[in-house]
Amino acid sequence: MSIKLLLEKANVPGIISYEVYRREGGYASVEKALRNMTPDQVTDEVKKSGLRGRGGAGFPTGLKWSFLAKPDGVPRHLVCNADESEPGTFKDRYLMEFLPHLLIEGLIVSSFALGSHHTYIYIRGEYAWIPDILEKAIAEAKENGWLGKNILGTGFDCEIYVHRGAGAYICGEETALIESLEGKRGNPRIKPPFPAIKGVWDRPTVVNNVESLAAVVPIINYGAEAYAKIGIGKSTGTKLISACGNINKPGVYEIDMTISVEDFIYSDEYCGGIAHGKKLKACIPGGSSVPILPANLLLKTAKGEKRLMNYESLADGGFATGSSMGSGGFIVLDEDQCVVKHTMTLSRFYRHESCGQCSPCREGTGWMEKILKNIEYGKGKMSDIDLLWDIQRRIEGNTICPLGDAAAWPVAAAIRHFRDEFEWHIRYPEEAQQRNFGLAHYADPLPAPQSA
Amino acid sequence: MKFSEDTLKKVAEVIARYPEGKSKSALLPVLHMAQDEFGGWLSPATMDYVAGLLNLEPIEVYEVATFYSMYNLKPVGKYIFEVCQTGPCMLNGSDRIIDYIKAKLQIGVGETTQDGLFTLKTVECLGACGYAPMMQMGKNYREHLTKEKVDAIIEECRQNAALNN
Ligand SMILES: Cc1cc2nc3c(=O)[nH]c(=O)nc-3n(C[C@H](O)[C@H](O)[C@H](O)COP(=O)(O)O)c2cc1C
Ligand code: SF4
Ligand code: FES
Repeated sequence: MSIKLLLEKANVPGIISYEVYRREGGYASVEKALRNMTPDQVTDEVKKSGLRGRGGAGFPTGLKWSFLAKPDGVPRHLVCNADESEPGTFKDRYLMEFLPHLLIEGLIVSSFALGSHHTYIYIRGEYAWIPDILEKAIAEAKENGWLGKNILGTGFDCEIYVHRGAGAYICGEETALIESLEGKRGNPRIKPPFPAIKGVWDRPTVVNNVESLAAVVPIINYGAEAYAKIGIGKSTGTKLISACGNINKPGVYEIDMTISVEDFIYSDEYCGGIAHGKKLKACIPGGSSVPILPANLLLKTAKGEKRLMNYESLADGGFATGSSMGSGGFIVLDEDQCVVKHTMTLSRFYRHESCGQCSPCREGTGWMEKILKNIEYGKGKMSDIDLLWDIQRRIEGNTICPLGDAAAWPVAAAIRHFRDEFEWHIRYPEEAQQRNFGLAHYADPLPAPQSA
Repeated sequence: MKFSEDTLKKVAEVIARYPEGKSKSALLPVLHMAQDEFGGWLSPATMDYVAGLLNLEPIEVYEVATFYSMYNLKPVGKYIFEVCQTGPCMLNGSDRIIDYIKAKLQIGVGETTQDGLFTLKTVECLGACGYAPMMQMGKNYREHLTKEKVDAIIEECRQNAALNN
């Protein structure tokens, strides 16, 4: 069994209620931080813990907090990013649905560190039943003196509000989220200025992911040093992984980042192997925008080392032979899946979600979807593959926000590793309508799983 | 056109969450309330009403309403099946579920049944990839869909509709 810091109490009956959460030791980190620490000490602790943002980019959370401008007389805000819309990702939902008080606790401590008296949770609109759960937890916390005026008699005031989005992946991007919180279309802003200087209502703002903010609780409870000892290298603490696709046990798992990808997929503690006894073909380990890897490069790096479930190891080899931890959305494809079709659905997703401000993203995502559709439905030309490659290259790095890159990378990686599958679709359009390509020759699978 | 007293109270509460002079921030939440209260979609008249309520120009409301996928700008059926079709759901057979609903209800994607009960839509990832295939129906998700489950959901909707008539 690996160490659990966030989901440790997830199975305690009634943990969603204040009474049970408190009885199980909840809100201890608020007592510790507000009574015995200064805001800067809390920030320092988070810095020392090595916590990296769990929303996708992996930026060190403590460092981000230390950039927050603190001009006199100007309010500042913490905004919790609960927009969670990257395909393959559903971990924040799990935390909010089953452990709402853990998030509220983390938000209070983090608001104290940043001096945010009005903190907002921006939640994707489709999670329409979750605001009620969060608002109930907020009300309970307030009744019990953890929110409101003069918390624990320390003079610190804090309110938390839930703000529902209305369907737009782009609002997960922090400056689009800020625009949306201001009641506008979710068009990302040009940076600089960064939110830390000029964020929501032009005030200094920190935007952090749900899981990052929940992780502040164990960091304060156990101390930065103990937290940093868990994990490996710059991948400290634990990480939530939402696993889906063709596996026996899809779900949300908390891992300490020392386990191997192979163990994660095949052990019964986690994914429980590939569904229906099939073989592993490929996997996108960190949400739809990170590169897809064929089985051989997924389980072992190009150097032949065991690949581990952490930031460094998943990225080993760069985009040529590696991928990324991203948001922790782990998507598994079995031998019968079609990489062309899967990539097409992702391109359709990014075309649908492009806000349309930049032409490379607005036009490029549409072209990529169209070309991929042609190839998938038997109308592709050999030159289309190079055209796709060319388009994705022209999007990457040429847009206001990283959605452009997020749309480009999956296409690039699919062509890089599965070019023969694309060529087969084009060469045998009729056959490609009848059956799938199967395992790529280099997606050399493991021996059949022992469990399952 | 006017919100109920209860809703007007909620609107005031929501506006109070944002700083003085920033009531535009309440636009997304208030549009959700308007859609819930005024027939499941945002007609031009509804949007103008919201604009007046929040002291905005109507165009500011139209801009926002057209940007977000959850606001309906046309009337919709009583029950909207929004089936996810993105990668992870596709890997688990969302295509089969969409085809099944089409055949069963005799409508295409984006269409509403003649009795006005059902609208079928396809949508992109809803954050339920581990419980695929799935769809959103109103405020809730229906997950691990099978043909049998779809049958049961349709039956449930028909019965509810009959009860409310
Ligand atoms: C297109 C796009 C979508 C994003 N979606 C999310 C999201 O749904 N949730 C999230 O936490 N971060 C998302 N991010 C990252 C945020 O911009 C931001 O980096 C993050 O919320 C910071 O929190 P963290 O440092 O705690 O990870 C997205 C970024 C981009 C470019
Ligand atoms: S890259 Fe795409 S989503 Fe981002 S700002 Fe430009 S058009 Fe909008
Ligand atoms: S892909 Fe369907 S919910 Fe994520």
